[in-house]
Amino acid sequence: MWGYILKRFLVAIPILLAIAFVTFLLMRFTPGNYLDTMRMDPQYSKATIQHYEELYQLDKPLLQQYLQWIKNILRLEFGYSFYYNVPVVQIIGGRLWNTFVLSCASFLFTWGVALPLGITAALRRNQWLDRLIQFFSYVWLSVPSFFLAMILLYAASQTGFLPLGGMVSPNFEEMNFLEKALDILKHLAIPTIALSVGSIAALQRIMRGNMLEVLGQQYILMARAKGLPENKVVYHHALRNAINPLITLLGYEFSSLLSGAALIEIICGWPGLGALMLTAVRSKDIYLVMASMLMGSVLFIIGNLLADILLAKADPRIRYERG
Amino acid sequence: MCVMIARSQLNWSPLSRWIRNVLFRQRVFFSLISFCLFLPSLLPSAEETIPQKYGGQLVISTVSDPKTFNDIMAKETSSTIVTSHIFDGLTTTNAFTTKVEPHLAKSWQVSSDGLVWTFFLREGVRWNDGAPFSADDVVFTFNDLIYNPRIPSSAKDVFTIDGQPFKVEKVDDLTVRFTLPVKFAPFLRGMGQAILPKHKLKKAVEDEAFNFTWGIDTDPQEIVGTGPYKLVRYDPGQRLIFERNPYYWKLSPEGEQLPYLGRVVYLIVPSADVQLLKFLEGTIDIYNVRGSDFPYLKPLEKERNFTVYDLGPDMGSQFIFFNQNNGAHPETGKAYLPAHKLAWFTDLNFRRAVAHAIDRKKIIEIVNNGLGYPQYSSIGPGAGFFHTEEVVQYDFDLKTAKKILADAGYQDRNQDGILEDQEGHRLEFNLYTNAGNTERLDIAAIIRQDLENLGMKINFQSLEFNTLVSKLTSTFEWDAVVLGLTGGIEPHFGQNVWHSSGGLHMWHPNQETPATDWEKRIDELFSLGVQELSEDKRKVFYDEFQMIVSQKLPLIYTVLSAQMTAVRNKFVNLKPTNYGGVLHNLEEIYMKKEAR
Repeated sequence: MWGYILKRFLVAIPILLAIAFVTFLLMRFTPGNYLDTMRMDPQYSKATIQHYEELYQLDKPLLQQYLQWIKNILRLEFGYSFYYNVPVVQIIGGRLWNTFVLSCASFLFTWGVALPLGITAALRRNQWLDRLIQFFSYVWLSVPSFFLAMILLYAASQTGFLPLGGMVSPNFEEMNFLEKALDILKHLAIPTIALSVGSIAALQRIMRGNMLEVLGQQYILMARAKGLPENKVVYHHALRNAINPLITLLGYEFSSLLSGAALIEIICGWPGLGALMLTAVRSKDIYLVMASMLMGSVLFIIGNLLADILLAKADPRIRYERG
Repeated sequence: MCVMIARSQLNWSPLSRWIRNVLFRQRVFFSLISFCLFLPSLLPSAEETIPQKYGGQLVISTVSDPKTFNDIMAKETSSTIVTSHIFDGLTTTNAFTTKVEPHLAKSWQVSSDGLVWTFFLREGVRWNDGAPFSADDVVFTFNDLIYNPRIPSSAKDVFTIDGQPFKVEKVDDLTVRFTLPVKFAPFLRGMGQAILPKHKLKKAVEDEAFNFTWGIDTDPQEIVGTGPYKLVRYDPGQRLIFERNPYYWKLSPEGEQLPYLGRVVYLIVPSADVQLLKFLEGTIDIYNVRGSDFPYLKPLEKERNFTVYDLGPDMGSQFIFFNQNNGAHPETGKAYLPAHKLAWFTDLNFRRAVAHAIDRKKIIEIVNNGLGYPQYSSIGPGAGFFHTEEVVQYDFDLKTAKKILADAGYQDRNQDGILEDQEGHRLEFNLYTNAGNTERLDIAAIIRQDLENLGMKINFQSLEFNTLVSKLTSTFEWDAVVLGLTGGIEPHFGQNVWHSSGGLHMWHPNQETPATDWEKRIDELFSLGVQELSEDKRKVFYDEFQMIVSQKLPLIYTVLSAQMTAVRNKFVNLKPTNYGGVLHNLEEIYMKKEAR
């Protein structure tokens, strides 16, 4: 197993380099660069803009810029942001954590709700509970998450029950640990629900489908015929088989943890990477974009690896020893 | 003061506007539900009232984080809005009269040739860390920061005339002398430039690290200014907290030390719709009202205890312009623009017809919800003194427009509904604008329709901002563009747009010699205007300039939106003005007793 993991990590290196290179090319070959806003500002002279070009090394050949960047990455220097004039890591650091918190909350909420719902629906197939769940799934699938966020925020503004966006209350500093945790949870509620509802609906349907398929298999019939208690049939035999395809999905979900929440973050004022990255891409703040891209890619690779390992744990037929 | 292409922020408008309209109309229904489901929110308990003006806080919202606290390196408003509370200049612009007034300098003298300016600094001014402010700081700000060849900044470009810097010398601790290479009319207003502390930044300059100093990762304690407030806390993506600078020099007319408000908090709220909800909820005290919010907000004034102030026309203009660049690509020799298109766009009759065809009333109705002003002068009314109404005003009149075109030889010769020029070329061209600014997109869409009513065929496309910029400043391959500029009071700072050699002379940039007589005259007027120190005499030049632009129409202006700000009725001494907005006298504003 460890050999397999090591191998996967080695394979990841060229993939990361390729991703970085393509991103770099995309950032450079789309028209314009960071200095364009300045070019359109009557108060900047050509000399000043040239000075900036030299400062940011935008005048160097493409390949040289890329190699320089790679060299710095190997020394764990992610470069300076043009926009902020501070190291990229400084800017991303705290926000990365915030995005991660929100994504994890939505991830746990989605899976925590969707799996039981899917199983329940499958076991009560075509009964009123199943129909109700499927009806609401259709509804929620068709509601865009940002719309839902707006509605929730509006409801919150009318009731005063939940805070209107942001991550902490103004008096956060004066709270004790328990109050702080509760405060963040309260602020998490709206963005988490908005982010999760659509995925819950989708995931629930997949779970239900898988479960139904497995429940129709002969070995389930066999297990029942053998006189096993229904609990054991469902949770020990059926569930383990039904959940395999979802584990692969989990790997993908993990990779989207950092990127999926941008829109909701902006609406709910969650201080994550979303708005930051959007402006960075639009204003062509290359190193900021590259750093976040790289982090996203690393997560993607780790996510896939985790999924494969989990799959091996869950399904005894899969072994990586010889692979 | 800053003239800059208004780059839009994120805007979720049309859909969210709709959501709001739908939701708000059903408020009763919603409140009913909420009443049943949750306990109604408790009103904030009234604190003990202190029988004086000091204390309290003001909460403002901003759409994005500051990029730096380094005022010299700051490039855009999300940063300068923050630094403007922390730093002061030698002079300031009076928000009522738009005239220049003493600030850190209590007075000044100018030599008879207008070249040597001596500033006498206010006594007893201190930095917010208690260190005394002196002439050394002023000299340092200019000689070591602005004129430092290693520090790129727009301030350097503003204070360099024909490649020559000002000579800045200390006479004594409270006297500074500026010697200018030539007469420079905007000089006094330019002295509003923030002065930075030598004792804090000297080391960074010596280490050649100034460009990376006072970034957003800096400990707020380190950021030292002479302004009314000091930064005490910054949580990225969440909030900025300012506290009263206890050393601030300014006194109220009654002799009380300013500022009154104890804290000023900026909440970072990226979505304007959420800003509105937060304003209504009461967490934010000031909200910049969009045209679409007005019909909803205005009736709530009494019930929710706030006031909507109409500040008059905005500084930012929106206009359409045509490519008049007769140049060719230096390497391939290919003309930037086909000859027949160049002929249309350089034809004044064509541009006059367009000016008559734009339905400004419709734009105001549709885009600004009826809250806007048609614009004809190239210096908008927001600039106050230098603005003139005496320009050619083009009424919306399709008949006249069509007649002008027909007389100039643009007629529908083959009855396909589209005009052709005398050589038979169909009047078909591309119209670009930048994506992301919904207001501008809406304006461009209306202009497109107006021009099609005139019998032109328009291919309308919205481009990413950077793409549009590279078309305008380097490839020069475009036909017509709808764009905006944020204006300022000092006309000379628009020189890069109006002087024929300017890089932002967008319809035909970087000319070696003026291509037309009127462009030559505008060049002359700008040279005259910058060397004349009497404001009244300057106005004559800039009035003529505005007249020429309205006659020759290099930019065809559309409308200015109305600036409106809603403020909670908690504050005393609010004196909103068109130039200064609501917060220009922030240091004098205090909270009502009952609001504390």
